[in-house]
Amino acid sequence: MSGTTVPLPPIGFADRVRTWWVICRTALAERMAYRGDFALGTLMRFLPIITQIFLWGAIFDAIAETSPGDGTPKRIGGFDLAEMVAYFLLTMIARAFSSMPGLASGIAGQVRQGEIKKYLIQPIDLIAFLLLSRVAHKLAYYAVAIGPFALVFFLCRDYFTAGFPPPHVMVAFIASLMMGFLIGFFLEAAIGLISFWMLEINSLVLIFMLFSFFLSGHMFPLSLLPEPIGWYVNLLPLKYLAYFPAAIFLRKIPDDELMTELLIEAAWLVFFVILCRWMYSRGVRRYSGYGG
Amino acid sequence: MGAELMSVNNLSSLSSQPVAEHRGESESPSRLAEFRRYLRVFLTFARNSLIRDMTFRADFIFHCISSVAWTAMNVGFYVLVFRFTSMIGQDTGWGRDEFFLFLATVWFINSLVQAFFMPNANEFSELIRTGGLDFALLKPIDTQFLISFRRIEWSAMSNFVVGLLIAGVSLHSMATRPESPVFPSLMSWILYPFFVGCGVAIMYSIMICLAATSVWLGRNQSLYDFWFYITNFSRYPMEIYDTPLGRPLLGLFTLVIPVLVVVNVPARILAKPLNPRADWEWLLAAWAVIATVLCVAFSRWLFRLSLKSYRSASS
Amino acid sequence: MPIIEVRELTKYYRVHRKREGLGASFRGLFRREYTEVQAVKGINLTVEAGEFVAFLGPNGAGKTTTLKLLSGVINPTGGTATVMGYVPWERRNEYRRRFALVMGQKNQLWWDLPAQESYRLHQQIYGIPDDRFRHTLDELTDLLDVTKLLGQPVRELSLGERMKMELIAALLHSPEVLFLDEPTIGLDVIAQHTIQQFLRHYQQERGTTILLTSHYMKDVAALCQRVVIVAGGLVQYDGSLAGIVDQFSGKKIVTLQFAVGVRPDDLARHGTVLETQWPRVKLGITRADVPRVLAETLRDYAIEDVSVEDPPLEEVIADLFHQVS
Repeated sequence: MSGTTVPLPPIGFADRVRTWWVICRTALAERMAYRGDFALGTLMRFLPIITQIFLWGAIFDAIAETSPGDGTPKRIGGFDLAEMVAYFLLTMIARAFSSMPGLASGIAGQVRQGEIKKYLIQPIDLIAFLLLSRVAHKLAYYAVAIGPFALVFFLCRDYFTAGFPPPHVMVAFIASLMMGFLIGFFLEAAIGLISFWMLEINSLVLIFMLFSFFLSGHMFPLSLLPEPIGWYVNLLPLKYLAYFPAAIFLRKIPDDELMTELLIEAAWLVFFVILCRWMYSRGVRRYSGYGG
Repeated sequence: MGAELMSVNNLSSLSSQPVAEHRGESESPSRLAEFRRYLRVFLTFARNSLIRDMTFRADFIFHCISSVAWTAMNVGFYVLVFRFTSMIGQDTGWGRDEFFLFLATVWFINSLVQAFFMPNANEFSELIRTGGLDFALLKPIDTQFLISFRRIEWSAMSNFVVGLLIAGVSLHSMATRPESPVFPSLMSWILYPFFVGCGVAIMYSIMICLAATSVWLGRNQSLYDFWFYITNFSRYPMEIYDTPLGRPLLGLFTLVIPVLVVVNVPARILAKPLNPRADWEWLLAAWAVIATVLCVAFSRWLFRLSLKSYRSASS
Repeated sequence: MPIIEVRELTKYYRVHRKREGLGASFRGLFRREYTEVQAVKGINLTVEAGEFVAFLGPNGAGKTTTLKLLSGVINPTGGTATVMGYVPWERRNEYRRRFALVMGQKNQLWWDLPAQESYRLHQQIYGIPDDRFRHTLDELTDLLDVTKLLGQPVRELSLGERMKMELIAALLHSPEVLFLDEPTIGLDVIAQHTIQQFLRHYQQERGTTILLTSHYMKDVAALCQRVVIVAGGLVQYDGSLAGIVDQFSGKKIVTLQFAVGVRPDDLARHGTVLETQWPRVKLGITRADVPRVLAETLRDYAIEDVSVEDPPLEEVIADLFHQVS
């Protein structure tokens, strides 16, 4: 062949940023196409909280009646009613960061239908691509959801009896949310990547969701758990998806432990990033070994 | 291939039966014959679903296991709650045994809805999106019937069994506890399944309404979410909403979207002695019956309306 | 009395207009813009019992929409239609028991189950008596040579086999009117041929009235005496297949084979040069000019062979579609 093919210029950082931006924009536009679902979905998301508030209200009522005390509010697992409500509202924020609907099953679908080949042929990385799309989806979500969120928090401001936490706790809270997003992403991506080894992982995803619903603290504050169950659950990384950020905000984590806890979370994050990369490279090798 | 063509040429053997012969016989079938036809179609649906489930046995078993695990976690949570309190709400009578009976009722109704209607409602949205609804519209049978019962998810019935277990344990505990033991009367036993049936019908109607909206809203993949959010209100005794802030909700979810009567009415009948009852409880039970009729009628109306707006996605 | 009568049938859709770009998507969240698509703009059609009619037309011409209107799947915007005396979109059970619609691009059989289970369901839905059902099923499976496949899950069948199964499902209740929407789409030549053969014989034996849409001229040529060309939502032609060329093509194709060494360069003055492959040249010539051109060329050049043909049907139709759209 003649030498007419000019090699493409090497991909620099600026090009990479441009690629990321395009991915982000596409994902955003895709999200916006389904406005009906979107608006309703955001609204509905707050409904379960209401039931939770009433349920806990009734429980605290019953306790107050059976054991009248000295007038200080009753506590369950270290939470009084106001804090309990604040806790559920805060886990909503945490879940808005850490939940990754459809991520694992999406990866599994791509592996099963051979779409994964695209990522082996084109110069993009599956994990990076998915992470960026996810960031874009989340941004689109926040853009719409910030309204309802602000409204609900404003209406419920009285439940935050301690007011805003001091700056260093705020910083820790935001850090825990960011890491929560990343842990949620890499954890679920790792589950999705299992599909390189077993094709049908829907069952696995379901089991994970089940455990994550209860053991992340979405259903109730983990400090309610009796020992030694509570101790074991605290060892799991699931708590970073909901309980941990809320507990930081409500100052349930003592200041002197805050740094250590955040470092442990960061360690978990590094672990899941490495796990993901390792699984992906092994999986791709296995996949191309089979010849697709 | 040769054989294929040969057999096509065989076509002259196709008995050209007089086409008109069988037309007359079914012009105005009696009501009983129609009922039997619908029943037979339903049984065929049930059979086909079972055959399908059995071809994916591992999936089936897994679904059973995961729904039982889900139940176990829920039970665990409420056991946890009752470590801190002896009753849900002040003087409501929803102690541990009564509440678990309530929970069992939630489980009965949800498992029935999930087994019979959930897969179909989900598929309905999908059929609208892909244009597959065309085929349903062609069939000489009520479209809503066809859409509502096409598939039955037998694995969801495992939750029904778990519900029986929870109900059994709590009934036993209620009957044998030292203070104020309760045995449901015969009347309670008769009324309970009736009102569970009403509850299922209300839930079904809400689900069909939600599914029908996908005609207007386009993609409706979060149908399950909406469903969960709305029916979430039915999962607890209605007394917990009896606060100044909760009363509007109580009214909304009793009168407008009557999800509160779904579980509350039957559970109350079984968990508490039938007599004495406050007047409002009788009214509530009567309302449950009326609400059932209204909901079914409304869902049917909305379903028909959605068919009118359906515009068959072309291929 | 005609079995199908269609008068001024129209169907308009409102379609959400999607805009490119992020900003537009955001705006689309709050305000939607619609465009009206006129899928069917006023179709008139009369079909007698026992006819086999083909609908031809480019994509988006309104063929499928018309079939869907006649099956009552969608409601029209205006106009009237009756099939066997019924208004299709009233969706009366009596009507629905007497016709069938087959869509080549969609399947109605249960994907994970053997076809025979879906057939049994059909039997119940259509209320077909047992003996009659068994009889019809035996005959149809025998004719299409799929008896052995009845017990296999549909998802394991090839596309051609699946289409045969779909056809059987549609014919189990012996419909008097059959609508076929692209029944051979995506099939290989052999499967196409088998299905054509089957349809032709079935139609001859049963006298079923059939309306068929297809992209394949072979389907149409093999099966239908009557062709209806739909384009731009209107009927452009209604008549025999051969009549299309007469009506829409004013041209003939003249092929001239010159003697060795003769290479005239002024042929374009007679008509369009379609193909030049010395010593053979193809010319497209207006019908009326043919005798004159033949006389002149034979007089001016040394020519070994001449042939005059009608242009190929596909091209005439493609031209026609092109003009309309």
